[in-house]
Amino acid sequence: MNTVVDMRGISRVYETGRLQVAALRGVDLAVGEGEFVAIVGPSGSGKSTLMHIIGCLDRATAGEYRLDGSAVEELTDDELARLRNRTIGFIFQSFNLLPRTSALDNVATPLLYQGVGGRERHKRARRALERLGLGERLDHEPTELSGGEQQRVAVARALVTEPALILADEPTGNLDSRSGADVMNVFRDLHEAGRTIVLITHDLDVANQAQRQVHVRDGLIDQ
Amino acid sequence: MNLIELIRLAFNRLRTSRLRSALTMLGVIIGVASVVALVSVGQGATSGITSQIEALGTNLLTVNPGSSTTGLTNNGFGTAETLTLDDSNALASLPGIAAVAPEITTSELVLNGTKNTTTSIIGTTTDYAAVRNETIYQGSFLNDASQENSLRIAVIGATTADNLGLTAADVGSEITIRGIPFEIVGLLQPKGGIGNQDDAIYVPLSVVQRELVGTSDSVRAIFVSASDTVSVDQAKAEITALLEQRHGTNGTNDDFSIADQSQLLSTFASISGVLSLLLAGIASISLVVGGIGIMNIMLVSVRERTREIGIRKAIGARGRDILAQFLIEALTLSVLGGVFGIVLGILVSALIGAIAGWGLQISPLTLVAAVGFSLLVGIVFGVWPARQAARLDPIAALRYE
Repeated sequence: MNTVVDMRGISRVYETGRLQVAALRGVDLAVGEGEFVAIVGPSGSGKSTLMHIIGCLDRATAGEYRLDGSAVEELTDDELARLRNRTIGFIFQSFNLLPRTSALDNVATPLLYQGVGGRERHKRARRALERLGLGERLDHEPTELSGGEQQRVAVARALVTEPALILADEPTGNLDSRSGADVMNVFRDLHEAGRTIVLITHDLDVANQAQRQVHVRDGLIDQ
Repeated sequence: MNLIELIRLAFNRLRTSRLRSALTMLGVIIGVASVVALVSVGQGATSGITSQIEALGTNLLTVNPGSSTTGLTNNGFGTAETLTLDDSNALASLPGIAAVAPEITTSELVLNGTKNTTTSIIGTTTDYAAVRNETIYQGSFLNDASQENSLRIAVIGATTADNLGLTAADVGSEITIRGIPFEIVGLLQPKGGIGNQDDAIYVPLSVVQRELVGTSDSVRAIFVSASDTVSVDQAKAEITALLEQRHGTNGTNDDFSIADQSQLLSTFASISGVLSLLLAGIASISLVVGGIGIMNIMLVSVRERTREIGIRKAIGARGRDILAQFLIEALTLSVLGGVFGIVLGILVSALIGAIAGWGLQISPLTLVAAVGFSLLVGIVFGVWPARQAARLDPIAALRYE
């Protein structure tokens, strides 16, 4: 089994003036291909920092991180952007769809940054949206969609590039329980289809639906 | 991301905030329109005045006699009686000379019935009309036969005709110059230009000599039109050589002088050049102000769309993708403003041209420069906001509310 996320001794220290705050203090984490892992921890535990580093939005202060075989610390900013684009599908708590942009164009945007041509882009985006039951909502802008629908558009956007890792940050946090359950069903289906999923949450009910739980406390993984 | 995608993205963005985009563009529109309009006004005024100078004849040379002395008093330039009809006839045979017209002038009281005026009576020859760019409004100019036969005929300048109440219908009737009747054979078109050249009456040279000023052989001036095949300077040299030979002078003691229009033209060209530059300079200040407007709105836009920038970066946009997106947006605003500004500028120029009577004067170079300048404004004032956007930290941008 390939290891998608392979972290060794990852730490992250923030410097605020003379004060140094260690958000992560030597984290080891491995997520294999096809795994569905929930990272659980209270606020302030360092799980958001961990999510940012897994997602290549931030760099570790020390330690080694290989994402789908690439040594992240050696990459330039542009190469990191490329890695985010091709290897990771992000799903955020607040959906983070592009405003005043149709569902179809939202889902097509990651392909735009890959240089995929307009027609092919829209074909793939349409297919991804149809797979999530949004075939009737292609031309709707985010403000015309319900929270559950917005989050499914976000999932479609995360899937459209066929990434090695789906990284979800509190995906149900802004949804009512029914929409939340819908979205969790989507994750379960994706897991069954063999996708690698890392889900960050503070909600144990959500975490319990994952295959494996990793608890973070005070910047360390608590096995 | 290719350019077409970026431009499409920019247009989508401008569509979603139409009023703001229109107001932002307005600065550039006004700037470009005023550059186009003011340059056009400058060119229109220049060509208007240049054509007035050219109405005097650009290949025109005026040969004046030197100064005379009475006792120890120098009577000043043009007072000597050293230029003669024979000089004039000799000049006509030079190869670099197209036409020659000597003139004798006097000032006389002229009567037409009860109306009267005192004006210049210019005695001259047939070629005068060609040399001085006179055009006939009605009738004809003096001809060779009238010269040889010393006919008492007159051609009337436009202002003089007005003063005497003469119209086209009066060709063939008579006026009285110093009590002597003259038949009107022609009226001239108004010529405008510098000095009142339209207030004069033209009669055959021989008639002026015989009837009005006495039979002296000297002329007040000889107008020479250089032929198209030689330069004005060359014609000038030929005239100088011939007159020096005829008068027995050698450059240090010449009893004549030759004046031409080229100095006047070049002086005017440099004045109008500076003036046009000044106008364009003033107008480009408003273009710069328009550019600052674009920068202002782009900075606001970067601030407002911080979260969007964060999202785009998270899903794979590189810094340069974001830079290009915002720069193209600024360029779209400025170039679109430039195009609308050109249209407005042409309309304003056409209006001013119609009122001032010099028509529409727009050089393609001005338009190219206006578009180029607005492009430059877009780049200069768009780069900084775009860099701000490109440098945003994705995590901070995603958290921004």
